[in-house]
Amino acid sequence: MHLLEVNNVTKRFGGITALKNVSLYIDSGEKIAIIGPNGSGKTTLFNVINGVYIPEDGRIIYMGRDITKLSAHERAKLGIARAFQITRPFPGLSVRENVMIGALFGTLSEKINTREALKIADEMLKLVGLYNKRDELAIKLTGPERKLLELARALAMKPKILLLDEIVAGMPPAKVDEIVDLVKNVAERENIAVGVMVEHVIRAVIRFAERVYVLDRGEIVLSGKVEDVMRNPKLREIYLGTRFKGGV
Amino acid sequence: MDPGLIIFLFLQGLVLGSIYGIVAVGLSLIFGIARIINLSHGALIMWGAYTALTFFVGYNLSPLGSLFIAIVVGLSLGASIFYLILRRLIGAHELTTLLATFALSIFLEEIARLNYGLDYRGFSWSLGVVKIFDYRLTYSSILAGVIALSIVIILTLFLYKTRIGSALRGVAQDPVGAYICGIDVNKIYALGIGIGFGLAMMSGVIITMYNPTGINPYLGAPYLLKSFVIVVLGGLGSIIGAYVGGIIFGLAEVVLFPLYDYLHFHSPMSMTLFTEFVILLILLLIRPYGLFRR
Amino acid sequence: MIKGKIIDHMSLIIMIFSYIIIWMLKTSFPEYSQMLTLLLYYIAIAQAYNIFLGMTGYVDFGYVSYFGLGLYGMALGVSYASQNNLSSSEAIILGMILSVILAGSVAGVVGGIALRLRGAFFAIATIGLSQALRYLIEGAKIWGGAEGIIIAKDLRKLFGEEGFSYATITLPDTGIFILAVATGIIMYLIRISRLGYGLLAIKEDEDAAKVFGVNTTLYKFVAFIISAVLTSLVGSMWTLKVTAIYPPESFNIAFSVEFIVIVMLGGGGTVLGPLIGASIYSLSKYYLGVYLPGLQLTVFSIILLLIVLLFRQGIVGELRSFLYKHEIVRKIIR
Repeated sequence: MHLLEVNNVTKRFGGITALKNVSLYIDSGEKIAIIGPNGSGKTTLFNVINGVYIPEDGRIIYMGRDITKLSAHERAKLGIARAFQITRPFPGLSVRENVMIGALFGTLSEKINTREALKIADEMLKLVGLYNKRDELAIKLTGPERKLLELARALAMKPKILLLDEIVAGMPPAKVDEIVDLVKNVAERENIAVGVMVEHVIRAVIRFAERVYVLDRGEIVLSGKVEDVMRNPKLREIYLGTRFKGGV
Repeated sequence: MDPGLIIFLFLQGLVLGSIYGIVAVGLSLIFGIARIINLSHGALIMWGAYTALTFFVGYNLSPLGSLFIAIVVGLSLGASIFYLILRRLIGAHELTTLLATFALSIFLEEIARLNYGLDYRGFSWSLGVVKIFDYRLTYSSILAGVIALSIVIILTLFLYKTRIGSALRGVAQDPVGAYICGIDVNKIYALGIGIGFGLAMMSGVIITMYNPTGINPYLGAPYLLKSFVIVVLGGLGSIIGAYVGGIIFGLAEVVLFPLYDYLHFHSPMSMTLFTEFVILLILLLIRPYGLFRR
Repeated sequence: MIKGKIIDHMSLIIMIFSYIIIWMLKTSFPEYSQMLTLLLYYIAIAQAYNIFLGMTGYVDFGYVSYFGLGLYGMALGVSYASQNNLSSSEAIILGMILSVILAGSVAGVVGGIALRLRGAFFAIATIGLSQALRYLIEGAKIWGGAEGIIIAKDLRKLFGEEGFSYATITLPDTGIFILAVATGIIMYLIRISRLGYGLLAIKEDEDAAKVFGVNTTLYKFVAFIISAVLTSLVGSMWTLKVTAIYPPESFNIAFSVEFIVIVMLGGGGTVLGPLIGASIYSLSKYYLGVYLPGLQLTVFSIILLLIVLLFRQGIVGELRSFLYKHEIVRKIIR
């Protein structure tokens, strides 16, 4: 049994079909990457997985249970965590309180009190290297720091699946490697499955994943082991060929 | 039931509805353009009524002339309030603009109270009456309904047929996009809020044409509350929606009042108001974005 | 360790200590007694409203309805008790229970439905609700309709002629003091609990809060009910002071705004905000009435504008943000 299965999911917005018959799976502790050009439906896919949108068609099975109709907060409690592309810290709260909220409402939710949540928050902040900024207001953080906060908040939820939206976008290569290593270490230690989405074919991210799905115009057009997909000529076509041939 | 009465009530409902329509249009316009719920809308309506009164009594100017004064004063007041206060609050938490416009509303009411006192005042601009079967409707109230309709038509033409109008609509839809296209967004906000204020004051003048009595500093509050129902009915932000909402509302009111009276309720007026607010609540639940919008 | 714990709860201690000082001032200086009762009344309501408005950022312009239903609950309880020859304590308890039931059930219905709306739509719906209630009472002549309920006679019957000042001064004043302390403690406990963190997350970014596991619908609802019920209890005490209630005053939106201003002035979501906000508000209202009679509202409208423009987080909120770096300040100023 897979940890998460997305079966033939279709999501429409008015007349536009954002996702068309998308199927994918992820196993416990596995790392996958979802790549695709801008507007290919990656964000919608994540939103369908974590419950921001309910799909018109298809089912989402998580740990053997149909969660298609569950709301976002219920899925969070079951262990589906998300870090946003455009970071969304709670600006008026401190860095520590932001991460505490992750711990308080994640999978440990009912089992811990605020004091224990504080402890988890501090651990996570040390992990991502924001511990000495713990008492700053989140709004005061720089762009890259906010990404780290986003990651710490998601990890504090003690998730089984971590969905990372473009976590490395706009970062210098050295920083990218650092974050990728960080995620890899935590995920392996705590057996977290990771789904990471990227717009551009970033080597570091692709190498980190075990399997990769390529999304184009709402459909999965390629999938499989990283090496196979990377060697497939179709990939180049999606990123370069068709777009230019079709005329802009 | 007397068929003459039914026809009369229908006409009266249309006139009243047209007035309610113009009352609500300014509120809807400001929300549409700047995402601000203007809680000073009622106070501006009140100032419109006082404008009509003051110029009629002091300078023998008919309310028709006061309409021009109202739009000029409203435009300049709205633009100044925008640059002084609201500009700093665009995009802030909704709570802040609600409070700011509420503060403005108290301020305007207090100035009126200090200036005119709490007495109910009125004037008499009589153009005669029309007899519809056995029932009477004043010429001035019919004129009020027609003027309200004309203002809405002019406003719609302005928004859809002129360059500035399309800039206003552009900002309403996407301020960032409009900014990128080279539109001075602040100027457009100032203009939009000015027009909204002007419409509110003009509707105050129009109200005195329908009923030239009972002018007092708190005259605007019930109109503000009714405007909420109407704009939600027509879709917050829509001009034509607000006007059509007003017509529906006016027709409903002339039916509900006699109905509750017939049913021997203690206070038919209160029951009519009660029903209006219940309609508002139901609408907000089933169609929060208006009856006509998909 | 113990010292650390005391410091952690410093804001609660400061708050309760201040209330006790106000109470002591009130008993020592009878000439200021009514002004200080008014202050405690504002503190209690502001703290109750803070639990909803301050913590979630949702503006309820119809909030006065819950105060009004509290007024009606007590008035109905007292008049029923007097007609049925119940004892005076039974009358008060019955009144408080009725207040809680009325406010709790209306808040339950409104919360269950209107809390699905956001921002401006929620604000409009709440205005509609308070006005609908008022006009229903007047129009269908429920609970005395527009004539209201006058309970002075009933109180005389229940408490006796000599007990009248106890029933209309000592009892409600003490009740309001206890409620001020109780709402303060409840607000504090919420602020430091899971519920409090969830509510603050909703205020900051409701959609993100959902994704991070906060059951936003439930949390807003719980805060709304607690807030409404506490306010209704303050209303039930207030009935005993005024002894006559009428629909227009009981559901007057201007009162909602008064409460909003106090919460905002002090700082929404802060524990000490209502104390500071209510103190500044009631003192300036009192002295403006003395020195600039007739101009209070004009001055207030200008003050309100200044708060909105310059102190968006309120006095306590701005101070806390400004001094956030210092750990002691963070713990004391909450």
